[in-house]
Amino acid sequence: MSDWTRSRRRDAHSSERDNDSGPSRWSHCRKRGVDGSLRANREADGHHKTNCSHTDNRHASFTTPENAGPVSRCARRADWGSQVEEDEMRRDVHRDMQRYRRRILGAEVTQRERKTSSGSSGSCDSREGENMETDESVLLRRQKQINYGKNTLAYDRYIKEVPKHMRQAGVHPKTPNKFRKYSRRSWDQQIKLWKVKLHAWDPPTEGSPDKVLDNIDELGLDDVMDIELDFPTLSDPQDAPASVTTRSLSLEGEECLGTPVKVQKTDTTVEPDMA
Amino acid sequence: MMENSVDDYRIQSFDLDTQMLLKTALKDPSSVNLEKVSNLIMDQSLKDQVFSKEAGRICYTIVQAEAKQNNGNVFRRNLLNRLQQEFKDREETRERSLQEWVCYVTFICNIFDYLKVNNMPMVALVDPVFDCLMRLAQPDALMNEEEVDCLVLQLNRIGEQLEKVNSQRMDELFFLLRDGFLLQEGLTSMARLLLLEILEFRAGGWLLSSTAHKYYYSEIAD
Repeated sequence: MSDWTRSRRRDAHSSERDNDSGPSRWSHCRKRGVDGSLRANREADGHHKTNCSHTDNRHASFTTPENAGPVSRCARRADWGSQVEEDEMRRDVHRDMQRYRRRILGAEVTQRERKTSSGSSGSCDSREGENMETDESVLLRRQKQINYGKNTLAYDRYIKEVPKHMRQAGVHPKTPNKFRKYSRRSWDQQIKLWKVKLHAWDPPTEGSPDKVLDNIDELGLDDVMDIELDFPTLSDPQDAPASVTTRSLSLEGEECLGTPVKVQKTDTTVEPDMA
Repeated sequence: MMENSVDDYRIQSFDLDTQMLLKTALKDPSSVNLEKVSNLIMDQSLKDQVFSKEAGRICYTIVQAEAKQNNGNVFRRNLLNRLQQEFKDREETRERSLQEWVCYVTFICNIFDYLKVNNMPMVALVDPVFDCLMRLAQPDALMNEEEVDCLVLQLNRIGEQLEKVNSQRMDELFFLLRDGFLLQEGLTSMARLLLLEILEFRAGGWLLSSTAHKYYYSEIAD
């Protein structure tokens, strides 16, 4: 690792602490900016974050469910680099939305087939479709929070150490589903719990910055693929058998998992075994 | 990689150390100072007109490599912000050196052409690119063949894409071009020829009919 990267990262850490109210251990692990870019433009990032936290505080005092309206909370930044990144995020969110819709549709079809055979009542998946969060400003805000959590060494270590099929609901952190309708409070709480869980994968070597930096170099393609984690495992056939049991066991205390969809799925997948 | 040979060819114009740096940036972007790399490419583009026409390709390759390696976009961010900085000073640049100004426009248009966000043009660049081309279409710029040549080349390359994202501004640009072609005194015949060609080119749906092509590009007929 060359000197410039190192000094740059050190800069990133120190200025991060000014803005972050969380524990320094957390900020110490930050490797990239909010938008996923390696921290480079200090000024712009700092400015951006102060903006956000200000509005955050104001909103937190409201008790009404979130409805941010069409106006983005963070003023559009002037530099082209940031503009293009925001543009990119917006398009990614829309692409995700299309994918998610397709998934729900796929699940709905299977659901209907099952319904005729098992006689279970009501399609929860179609309800899921109607209750989907489609407000762009909400989705962008949530995506930013998710990116913020994923933008940690802990997250990189986690996705590397625990392959997707080994993850157990209730045991391992699971990215909150940004497309579900949740109140602002519920969502923020889910994000908080998710981040707390991710801390378990914080790099162990606090005192040795070189070790931490080494981890950055080990980043592989996993990171690029992590968009997959945003989706519920509605129709993931190879995942289903392994996760079904743990999922039903760990429903309590995991509000993000205790959804009708998953329960429904558990029932129907287990059924063939009993028949 | 097929494009390596092309990139290698373009890189020749740098000194050896810089060549090494660029080659590393193409293969292992996270191991080099990408801000420095973006500045090098920008500086070279402002000096070297041939390079500015193809620099977008190298930039594209580095952006791809960086995204693949660590999902990063340090290079793109720095490149765009540097482009923006130069954009702010464009009028001074033009006064100082026509060649540098023409190189700048060529470069920003090339970046617009090569770097896409989810296969779509970068919205942030649309208006700046139009601003540059509008500037080239002003009466004083039409007097310089260099600038007319640049304007026509850019429209040939990215005119169609630009019109798709903002047809109204393209209309405004072409009002200027028609006026220039028709009314402006003192234009060289070469400038008029270039303007006429681009007017026909857009009128033909960003295509030159074969007869028009023959007219503009074949050797003088008997």
